[in-house]
Amino acid sequence: MIETSHVSKVYGRGIYALRDVSVVIEKGEFVFLTGPSGAGKSTLLRLLLRQETPSEGSVTVAGRDLARLSLRQAQTYRRTLGFVFQDFKLIPSKTVLDNVGLVPRVLGATSVQQQRRTFQVLKWLGLQHRMNAYPLELSGGEQQRVAIARALVNEPSLILADEPTGNLDPDLSLEIMNLFRDINARGTTVLVATHDRELMRHVGRRTLTLDHGRLVDT
Amino acid sequence: MAMHWFTYCLDEAVRSLWRQRGSVAFSVLTIAAALLVLGGFLLVSVNLDRAVSKWSAAAEFSVYLRDDISQDQRVSLNTLLAGHPVVASREYVSKADAAQRFKRDFPDLAAGLGDLPQNPLPASIEVRLHPRRADAAAVEAFARELQQAPGVADVRFDRRWLERLAGIATGLRWAGWMLGGVLIAAAVLTVATVVRLALHARRDEVDIMQLMGAPISLLRGPLVFEGLLQGGLGALVALAVLYPVSLIVRQQFAAALGPALDLALVGFLPPGVSVLLVLGGMAVGCAGGFVAARHVR
Repeated sequence: MIETSHVSKVYGRGIYALRDVSVVIEKGEFVFLTGPSGAGKSTLLRLLLRQETPSEGSVTVAGRDLARLSLRQAQTYRRTLGFVFQDFKLIPSKTVLDNVGLVPRVLGATSVQQQRRTFQVLKWLGLQHRMNAYPLELSGGEQQRVAIARALVNEPSLILADEPTGNLDPDLSLEIMNLFRDINARGTTVLVATHDRELMRHVGRRTLTLDHGRLVDT
Repeated sequence: MAMHWFTYCLDEAVRSLWRQRGSVAFSVLTIAAALLVLGGFLLVSVNLDRAVSKWSAAAEFSVYLRDDISQDQRVSLNTLLAGHPVVASREYVSKADAAQRFKRDFPDLAAGLGDLPQNPLPASIEVRLHPRRADAAAVEAFARELQQAPGVADVRFDRRWLERLAGIATGLRWAGWMLGGVLIAAAVLTVATVVRLALHARRDEVDIMQLMGAPISLLRGPLVFEGLLQGGLGALVALAVLYPVSLIVRQQFAAALGPALDLALVGFLPPGVSVLLVLGGMAVGCAGGFVAARHVR
């Protein structure tokens, strides 16, 4: 599913965010990406989101070499992904329904398809009673569940999450992580960047550890 | 897909315009001011053109005949007029007809004319010109030719002032385009700034949509639509102001000039020009929106 081969990312005057990172993640795997702040976790996720391209090496996802994608191909590629961020990145002026429905809407689904799919996902995540609420009216855990609903609504083959529990208390963090486990159980590949060792131990999955841009443990 | 794109862009643009209605109102007024200036100049020049056209159609020579004109000279003059392409029609006005017209037009002086031992007014031929064939050079040449014809005392040609008027109308139109052009450039920049503000307000949304893989047309489209709607609104505001202003000015003219001015000639912009003004406003707004949309990559 994901293969990075001798990937390095250099910013500015020779500052390496990633150095010679080679890793393979199989389809359907649930993998944690961990390491201290500045280790390169977010950089690797940005490369996988194709927000950036590597300075050296290659990043391949589902057989696509991301550096070789045109702008249009990159857009098509991103439609196969779901993403979740620490700060949720919900649109405050839109309701829960509109935030989650934005994805199928942007991708050209009909109104009926949008509503059906959005409602299914919200119901699965237990948010159907909050459909008409605005993000700022929700708790942190609810906001993150909305963000996960948005990531799932397009039925992606890969979900990338960057510190998805960073703003949540331990109980909510565990709840969110259990959600990712359920999503993974349905066959979706999940890559979660976190530095919460307790959570990783609780979920008990493969862990990739970065330190100063180098992969130190796979 | 095109319909989805259209409804999405329109929906997002309307929401965004409503969200920042304060700055949008400023932008709409800027466009309205630019188009008001342009529309005002167009209104004046269109009405001058109408007047020139109408008066041109009514333009005529007056060929005054010598009292001692011979029958042969009269025949050859008639032949000259009948065969010339700029002549649409002609009418002979005898000395007696001229006296009668004088008495009708100037009743206070009519008694004085009757006291004279003989009628001093000359006979004339009133020549109506063909509006399409009578260009300035051809008419000038024909007037000179008539002036030299035997039996002709004088030729009075009332067209030169019409040409000057037409020149003023053209000048006004150009002045309008130039001044309007400068204001329109300012309007484009204002719209671009307002739409960029909207873009900043929606930056997170645009970033998220980019991560979702939204096509660039879906990211830029609402911004271009925002500009387009602002431009259209601005043009409608300009027309809404221009129309009552034109009515007020017309009334002022009526009071000042009275019967000397044919008010039937004075009117609002033709529907085609009004539609063009609205489309122009939309194009101006669209240009502003596009300038702002280029920042989304």
